[in-house]
Amino acid sequence: MKIIIAGAGSVGRYMAEQLSKFGHDIQLIDTNAKELARVHAEGGTVTGLVGDACEISTLAKAGAADADVIAAVTGDDEDNLVVSLLAKQEFAVPRVVARVNNPNNEWMFNDMWGVDVSVSTPHLLTALVEEAVAVGSLVKLLSLEHGKAGLNEVTLAPGSPAVGNTIANLKLSRESVVVALIRDGHVVAPTPDTVLHENDEVLLLSTGDADEDLQRALIGPR
Amino acid sequence: MFRKRSKSNPPEVVAYDATPVAEVQSRVHTTVMGQITSIKTQPSRGLPNLVMKVTDESGSATVTWSGRRSIGGITLGRKILITGVAMRTGGIVAFVNPEYQLLA
Repeated sequence: MKIIIAGAGSVGRYMAEQLSKFGHDIQLIDTNAKELARVHAEGGTVTGLVGDACEISTLAKAGAADADVIAAVTGDDEDNLVVSLLAKQEFAVPRVVARVNNPNNEWMFNDMWGVDVSVSTPHLLTALVEEAVAVGSLVKLLSLEHGKAGLNEVTLAPGSPAVGNTIANLKLSRESVVVALIRDGHVVAPTPDTVLHENDEVLLLSTGDADEDLQRALIGPR
Repeated sequence: MFRKRSKSNPPEVVAYDATPVAEVQSRVHTTVMGQITSIKTQPSRGLPNLVMKVTDESGSATVTWSGRRSIGGITLGRKILITGVAMRTGGIVAFVNPEYQLLA
């Protein structure tokens, strides 16, 4: 795949190095030639381009017209939004990924600004901390499809109505599906007849607002 | 006697270099010409988007303007020229914030 990364800070460089290892064709853009020079590509190709990714001409030079993905990962939310908008509007890049630096700006990172997927480190950290401490509550791990779908996790507490029940018996609405269980550190592929145990980590993919339904089936009344 | 219309002076036709919607290729800078057959405001997370459909004989394209509820002159039935980079996903041709020119 042809991937353009805007911003060659530690995030951009790390991404370029990792993705080039998987054989992708990486084009890295930064205004600072020194940052670009610090990239150590192993195996794949990483091409550096000195320029402002917020300029259409720079993106064109980087080959945005036939790029499969653009990742806007500078330390500046305004820049990331401009890169995303230009990528979508001027080059119709199929997948635009943007980094959110300040969580207060997260609401802007949506299709209006051309962003397909936004990644907010503070948000992710909160979710992961919550996941570590939360037994018997719903943790939202990831949102997909512009927030229309999401991956949720529930660790079953002893009093959960789901304990001892089969997955079919949970009678989940059609909005949710159990995609995996983690039991004693092992992944269990769920079937309708799988019986749920205490401390099982249940991973569910849901669309729409499935919170109520998951609360009822897996956690019990508040 | 009738005056024959000279061949060098044909009736005035303004030619636009428009591509039929059905032949629009993804990610190519293109101009299409058609009639506005639907207009709606489609809010996305509380922010307005003006979404309209431009239809020619071969099909129709979706045009989205972000952050707008309405645009002066964009009315149903109007002929319009749309220029921008098209995105084709499945059978749908979409333009985001393209240049436009209102016709008759």
